[in-house]
Amino acid sequence: MKLRNRFLLATLVGLVLAGGVHIAAILAAPHFAQQDAFEKILPTLSAEQAQIISAPGGGNTWLPLPDPSVAVAACAFDLEDGPSRISAKTGAPFLSFSFHTKTDGVFFAVTDRAAVRGDLEIVIMTARQLDEARAAEDENDPSRDVRVVAPERRGFVIVRVAAPTPSLRAQAEEAAKAVSCTVDEEP
Amino acid sequence: MDHHAILTDSSARAPARATSIRPAAVSFRFNPTALLIVYAFLLALGLGLGSAYWVLKGDPPFGGLRLGPWETWPKLGSADADPYMRAIVAKRGQVPLATGEGLSLTAKTDNEGRRLESGCTYRIGSVTPPARLWTLTLYDGDGRLPASDLGRASFTSSEILRNQDDTFTITLARTLSAGNWLQLPPNGPFSVVLRLYDMPGAAGTNLVAGNFPVIERVGCGS
Repeated sequence: MKLRNRFLLATLVGLVLAGGVHIAAILAAPHFAQQDAFEKILPTLSAEQAQIISAPGGGNTWLPLPDPSVAVAACAFDLEDGPSRISAKTGAPFLSFSFHTKTDGVFFAVTDRAAVRGDLEIVIMTARQLDEARAAEDENDPSRDVRVVAPERRGFVIVRVAAPTPSLRAQAEEAAKAVSCTVDEEP
Repeated sequence: MDHHAILTDSSARAPARATSIRPAAVSFRFNPTALLIVYAFLLALGLGLGSAYWVLKGDPPFGGLRLGPWETWPKLGSADADPYMRAIVAKRGQVPLATGEGLSLTAKTDNEGRRLESGCTYRIGSVTPPARLWTLTLYDGDGRLPASDLGRASFTSSEILRNQDDTFTITLARTLSAGNWLQLPPNGPFSVVLRLYDMPGAAGTNLVAGNFPVIERVGCGS
């Protein structure tokens, strides 16, 4: 083969491999991200209450494009220690939970419309913990927990509480901070 | 040639190295195939990583929805998000609104497709799709909330002054205006984000451009 043809072949091989490198880099990016929301929320793992990450009013926050009319709080969970129970008292303003993992994105979200008598409570568990909970359940007195299976062991919950007017900001922040994230003891 | 340069270099540094490495042991024969393989690998690495970096800097390339001046990625906050969306969310450190929570739409241009400039005056109105609460927020070119005389960079559906027929108009200008006024940053481009919280039905379905507010450029002055 002539040198020129070999050069063209090498270029072609390079381009095809570049496609592979591109795909691999995109797929790997969430796994290796150091500055993503998960890494920033992870230090709050041991907290029993949600921690404010963006106070209403848009003060200092790492959250990109914060909405000044919404209080955002977060708590991290690790299902290794047992199912995680997220619970909030709901009031008039909008309140929502969304459940995220590092690499699998959002897996569940719920708003205060799903609250029962002013209580919104979700239990996150692994598929195995769900099986165990079902097996341990009393048939005559089934649990009323809303159970959600997480695709990954570790993740975080984002709590958003709206403050439709500036005067409600303090109240929204209090409501977001009052959300509890506790670990259910294994039976 | 490069290789001679390397050889010369290595022999020049030889005294600094451990005595067990003897430059005389390195023998070299010009081999175009080896050179081409190295070239192909370098090309693959450079182009692959470069293109990945370039894509991650921008908006997600697929799954976008354009409604007049507004742009949104309805799947960004769902389990169906594609790998580009996930990588971009991770890179930005963003927490997208989940599909069940609401929908966020960004405008960087006016209705005629001209970039939003803080030197101009704009009118936004007059309807939004049904939602329990919406917020409309200004961000400067760096994504920060602009400082303003009234300490206000956003309006919510509860705060806005409405006309008798329930429509509204928001004026974006650098100087004080009557009615719903948001002050633009002193200079540079800006963007507007409309967030619809708790939309009826699943967010991202049944969206028509006619239900969204229009961004109209009123004029540009000094």
